[in-house]
Amino acid sequence: MATRNGSKRQLAWVFDLNKCIGCQTCSVACKVLWTQEEKGAEHEWWMTVNTAPGRGTPKDWEGMGGGYEGGKLKLGHKPTAEEFGSGWTYNYDEVLRGGHGRSKHLEKVSGSKSWGMNWDEDEGGGEFPNAYFFYLPRLCNHCTDPPCVESCPTTALFKEEGSGLVLRNEDECQGNERCAQACPYKKIYFNEARGISQHCIGCFPRLEQGVAPACVRQCPGRAAFVGFLDDEGSSVHKLVEKWKVALPLHPEFGTKPNVYYVPPLSPAPLREDGSFDEGGARIPPSYLEELFGAKVHGALDVVRTELEKKRRGQDSELMDALILYRWKDALGHLDRDPGEIVWS
Amino acid sequence: MAAPTRIDRAKGTWADRYRKLWTWDEVHFGSHSVDCYPGGCSWRVFVKDGKIVREEQAGLHPPIEPGIPDMNPMGCQKGACWSHCHYSQDRVTHPLKRVGERGKGEFEEVSWDEALGDIADGMLDALEEQGPASIVTLFTPEPGAAPARVFSDVLGLPTTDGNAEFQDFSPGWHLTWGLYNPVSTMDDWFLAELTLIWHANPVYTNIHWYHYLAESRYNGGEIVTIAPDYSPSAIHADHHQPVRIGTDAALALSMCKVIIDGGLYKKQFVQEQTDLPLLIRKDDGRFLRGSDVTEGDLEDQFFWWDTLTGTLAPAPRGTLATTGVDPALEGSFSVMLKDGSTVEVEPVFAKLQRHLDDYTPEKAGEICEIHPDNIRALARKVATRKTKIFIGWNSGKYYHGDLMERSMALLLGLTGNWGKKGTGTRSWAIMGYDGEAFMSEKEGPGQEAAQKLIAGMIAMRRLVAQSDPTMTTEMVQNRIACMAAEIGGVGFPMPPAFMWYYQYGYKERWNDPENLDPSMKRSFDEYVEEAIEKGWWDARYAKTYQTVEPRVLFESGGNVLRRQRGGQKLLLKNLWPKLKLIVSVDYRLTTTGLYSDYVLPAAQHYEKLGHSMPSVHHLNFVLCDEAVEPLGESLPDAEIGVLLLEKIEERAKARGMKEFKDLSGNPRSLEGLVDRLTQGGALRDRERAFDEGIRDNAVYGVLPKGTTLETLREKGSVRFTNWGMVGHGQSQGSTIKPDEVHNALRWHTEDKVPYDTLVRRAQYYIDHEWFLEAGEELPTHKEPPHHGGSGRRFEMTSGHNRWSIHSMNMTNDVILNTHRGEPFVFINDRDAAELGIENGDQVKLVSDAGDSKMAAKLTPSCRPGQVILYNGFEPYMHKDWYSQADLEPGHVKHLGFAAGYGHLQYRPLSWQPIPADRAVRVDVEKLS
Repeated sequence: MATRNGSKRQLAWVFDLNKCIGCQTCSVACKVLWTQEEKGAEHEWWMTVNTAPGRGTPKDWEGMGGGYEGGKLKLGHKPTAEEFGSGWTYNYDEVLRGGHGRSKHLEKVSGSKSWGMNWDEDEGGGEFPNAYFFYLPRLCNHCTDPPCVESCPTTALFKEEGSGLVLRNEDECQGNERCAQACPYKKIYFNEARGISQHCIGCFPRLEQGVAPACVRQCPGRAAFVGFLDDEGSSVHKLVEKWKVALPLHPEFGTKPNVYYVPPLSPAPLREDGSFDEGGARIPPSYLEELFGAKVHGALDVVRTELEKKRRGQDSELMDALILYRWKDALGHLDRDPGEIVWS
Repeated sequence: MAAPTRIDRAKGTWADRYRKLWTWDEVHFGSHSVDCYPGGCSWRVFVKDGKIVREEQAGLHPPIEPGIPDMNPMGCQKGACWSHCHYSQDRVTHPLKRVGERGKGEFEEVSWDEALGDIADGMLDALEEQGPASIVTLFTPEPGAAPARVFSDVLGLPTTDGNAEFQDFSPGWHLTWGLYNPVSTMDDWFLAELTLIWHANPVYTNIHWYHYLAESRYNGGEIVTIAPDYSPSAIHADHHQPVRIGTDAALALSMCKVIIDGGLYKKQFVQEQTDLPLLIRKDDGRFLRGSDVTEGDLEDQFFWWDTLTGTLAPAPRGTLATTGVDPALEGSFSVMLKDGSTVEVEPVFAKLQRHLDDYTPEKAGEICEIHPDNIRALARKVATRKTKIFIGWNSGKYYHGDLMERSMALLLGLTGNWGKKGTGTRSWAIMGYDGEAFMSEKEGPGQEAAQKLIAGMIAMRRLVAQSDPTMTTEMVQNRIACMAAEIGGVGFPMPPAFMWYYQYGYKERWNDPENLDPSMKRSFDEYVEEAIEKGWWDARYAKTYQTVEPRVLFESGGNVLRRQRGGQKLLLKNLWPKLKLIVSVDYRLTTTGLYSDYVLPAAQHYEKLGHSMPSVHHLNFVLCDEAVEPLGESLPDAEIGVLLLEKIEERAKARGMKEFKDLSGNPRSLEGLVDRLTQGGALRDRERAFDEGIRDNAVYGVLPKGTTLETLREKGSVRFTNWGMVGHGQSQGSTIKPDEVHNALRWHTEDKVPYDTLVRRAQYYIDHEWFLEAGEELPTHKEPPHHGGSGRRFEMTSGHNRWSIHSMNMTNDVILNTHRGEPFVFINDRDAAELGIENGDQVKLVSDAGDSKMAAKLTPSCRPGQVILYNGFEPYMHKDWYSQADLEPGHVKHLGFAAGYGHLQYRPLSWQPIPADRAVRVDVEKLS
């Protein structure tokens, strides 16, 4: 496979889907830090959380193509701002100061007419009482084999050696959007005002100061972890490499993503008569396999086995890692308090 | 140790632009002085070029108890973009005076002097016309907004009681324990072996603390969510019990039945902590009282039957300990009364057992639509594990929420599940901030005066306690709270139900025969009149509003036209025309603001010195520092409060008005008001006053010795060392320990201190005449009345959403972009299909009270027949401006007016009538 991967170390993210509560603090933290004030980036939410199953953002992204097939780069659909959704502004002045009273209400005046970055929030699947859903946070996967880099006709996109981040030289980007076609996760956005594409920058200015990315450091659910995969002391190493309970999303896209997920457990389903089917699965295993590949079953077995140990009063290193007694352990080597930084 | 990651290839203008975005000139500690399930999150606020650029959680909370996760990095998405509200288009930055019709949104900017002058004149006019009762201040709990209404405290004007105003009360907890909400700190949640998430949706409402639930599960605990819908808080549970709407009491009582029948109850706990061994008379269903048995004995002396001696014995009033006795829980006994006659008596437990025959798992399963085996299995778990009921304030908002809560408390009592770590209930409880509350009570500025004040208060407590050597700390505290309410020295807290009844238009609604709950044997009017006649409620509010019409309405930090159950139509028709002056103090234009005559611009949270809600949940005093100057002409609320007071003095002087008669008929001076508030001007400076409050708290022992504003600015927060005398801290019945999680009621379980209920035990049997009449002497299940219209297809439930704090942040356009961006209602997908409604269609919800328009959002997680309309949408976000509260008739259960009985008497933020809004019947119509 052709890759441009010359990175020495790889930074990775882990999201524990049993702790994620879909609160969007990561999304908001990212948005207000990087894209809130920028013209043309209204629809750009580099970090998003969606309800799964669902159509997500951009709408129906899983069917838009991209990635590798048989080791070959495959270009897919290039998502539009309309499909990403949101980007809304509102008629505050008209309602609050227009003198119209009840005849005018607060409404969207620009942005997507048909979708939002979290449009299908809490809808999910199944049938009552056996409905099911969970939250799926997503950002650029900073892939080990990034198809966006390969598809880029210039050298604007690159895999950064020291961190493994996939970054874009925005000065060089020509905005031809092949990267957006190539990315199977549809996490590349086009800024019409600037004529360039944009995506998650891995909070590199924070990393340079030893501070964790905003999406991780600001996660109140303590569901997000960051660190170098090869740093044996890091939570991400323990969860991905040692316990192998954290898996990439859609591994079949062939890009070797570096965002990993501890797959979701779910409550026991109810039988027709209303009694619990204790051994049954509320979230169809086939759906989880569709998302995380066949390894998901083994990963869930490990989580269940370790959980049972705790319930029997035994120790479990894995459960302790997921409990995260000390929050800073989620941040790997990036545990500096940004409040201490003084810019000269 | 943090090792920077080198990003060598990020070079060029693009990279430098990103680097520059993440720089700042200054960083301050910040928080949000709001009522957000009391957050208390400590943030860093970053300032560049004089403007706030962003905020990020400080993440500095130290670990407390070994083996328990720390609290970092508390926060949520609202907090993460709060600075955006500072610069939002709905921000108010100049005093506004209405020029058009109310509600039209036509204002002109006026000077502070003009606005305050007009408002002061309006108040003085009202004082002259009808007296102080006609100036009504609505209570809102935002600590940041409270200082604006300081005139009300200084002049002793009525302020509505918040628990009814925003309907946050757990009547069943009060009936059982005589306390406000005994809760634990959130780190205690980690220790539960079984957590029942019941009447709560912490995935939405406890974003900052939810992790303790997830972590308790990883620690081996089990999570069970009991909710009609497959709620977002069910997804990480081990089991979801899809209880039918409004039938939770039946579920809890059925578990109690299983536990008693299986001999799984904790006998000693039941004998010691609860009223279940106390004897009740079989003839009239009342407790056997000392005054029944012996001439001259106490009316509140109760008895049990000691099986060791086979004799009647008085249950000790001074301790819960059962040393040397074995009170009977079963059987029937004959007792000779003082007149020589005999009466048959039995323990409450025996009556309860018979009562529970109606709640076999099979019978209850029919009621709740839960499989009987699920009830049995869960009951056994509760009986054998450290169990916590994670509850919000949802149950109290059901018409029969008191019964639900009493049933849940019974489940906990039978299984010994309170007063030890990892057990108990959870709701919401603020605690004291004595330094602020008592500042103007001191003789003068400084900490010596604080020392003197506290010494005086302790002496007063001793005096109160002298009347009865068995009085507990809680009893003394509660008596003093009752006295404070009576005296009305600082402010005049009043249960608003009477004013609502006579002046808001509820009299007609609550008496409508269509709406009567079958438990009521008489008309609503008869109950209200009897309650007033018997003197159960203070005539100064209970009777006054039969004739006095409100003339001035003052709202600071609240939004009554969004909030009031009963709806805008009721208020705009009945109340608004009576009002000559409506003042709204806020940093943003709300629907209430649009219907006000004056809107006074308050500073935002990073523009003024303040603190987050002091809360039992986190036990931290969290600083909100002033990071930037207030925008435009906006002012800190404390400054607005002082300026208004000053203006009242000035205008009173100009019209030669020296005093007025207060609510008790005593003269109140209109002179020297500001001096009294500010210790002769010494504490006029906000920074000085704020520091004084902190230093005084250190004197009172509420904060660690040596705490000052300066020390707080180093860490952003500090853990409380004691409860203080105001707020609900005293309801905790437990001592704060520096290296332990907090769990309530340990004084009772460990030290055997009696409860402050009529019977001095956790009280399940309420023999108040109205409760006996309604058949509610024991916890029981009753179907919710069909308020909203009995023929309507859907039951509406609601609750707090994920996206806002009440209506705050609902109009924040960062947050709006994270959901549908407009008001919506969840409907079951199959119900919607039957009605031809597709996802995203505009629909109208209709009840007998009104209607509201919004988008439909379809999900199989919603129970068939249920619609979930999470509240908080600003009315002006809906077409025609009617929101969820406009669908809610706002009924009050008549038993809320019952008093004159032990712990059933009014004290601030406690027992009183509160409106119900859950399970309202609505229809859903598709709009073309």
